[in-house]
Amino acid sequence: MVASQDTDAFGELIRRHQSQVRNFLRRLTRDETLADDLAQDCFLHAWDKIHTYTGSGSFIGWLLRVAYTTFLQSKRKSKRYREIVEQAGHEAEQAPTAIEGDPEAELDVDTLMAALNEQERVIMIFSYACGLSHREISEATDLPAGTVKSIIHRAKEKIRTQFEIEDHQYG
Amino acid sequence: MKSKIINMADKTSDAVDRLLASAFAADPVADDGFSNRIVSKLRRRIWVNRLALPVAILVGAAFALKPAVQIVNALLPLLNAVPIEIARVPMEFLPQIQWVVLGGMAFAAGVTLVKMLEET
Repeated sequence: MVASQDTDAFGELIRRHQSQVRNFLRRLTRDETLADDLAQDCFLHAWDKIHTYTGSGSFIGWLLRVAYTTFLQSKRKSKRYREIVEQAGHEAEQAPTAIEGDPEAELDVDTLMAALNEQERVIMIFSYACGLSHREISEATDLPAGTVKSIIHRAKEKIRTQFEIEDHQYG
Repeated sequence: MKSKIINMADKTSDAVDRLLASAFAADPVADDGFSNRIVSKLRRRIWVNRLALPVAILVGAAFALKPAVQIVNALLPLLNAVPIEIARVPMEFLPQIQWVVLGGMAFAAGVTLVKMLEET
């Protein structure tokens, strides 16, 4: 039905998935207004490209791929977007990377993500914020599933080492 | 989204997994008219796309009509060189050439409009 360009059905899909898409873009950009602008662009692109969704993978996986592509395109094209995203990345790098005192002190996402490079951040957001499987992340990022798995493993090891996390913690 | 994160946390027992799952756990983003705004924008865009061609044809016709008539009028004297037997039939139609041009444009716009209505 959506493939036949039915705006009502597409509206229902937007209502169902807007939260995940906006959350994903908010995590990436760390700017709510920019993320919502990008989410809007993402859904408009999704409308134009809906015929390319074959139904083989999950729809949210496909949609987040469109969102990620929209994010990358905007980052390349728009000076304003690039500045905000670079500023967000810079702030993340300056965030504290170790919590002194209480080892179980609350570590927020920004602090954790500061330990990772951009590619690792994106994949961890796909995996933990969006709940995508390795195969879905592989499709969204055009990386082999094995590479996705090893990036997640490497990122987790970085976090474990950086914040001295023991296996009994956060149980 | 929350359920997926909880499922993921259930699957894994690793401390970093649990930490990441809780750090990334977020309340769903409220719609607050976001979906309706996009659907309205989509509908507007569809109508603009559909109207673009007929409007372009009509505007083009409006601009092209006067020069087309002038060209025809400029060519009319050349027809004097043509033997009267050959020129008789076209001469009867030539004064109405602007209507032929306008009719052609209107026909093209009409066909486009019908096609557009069929798609609606």
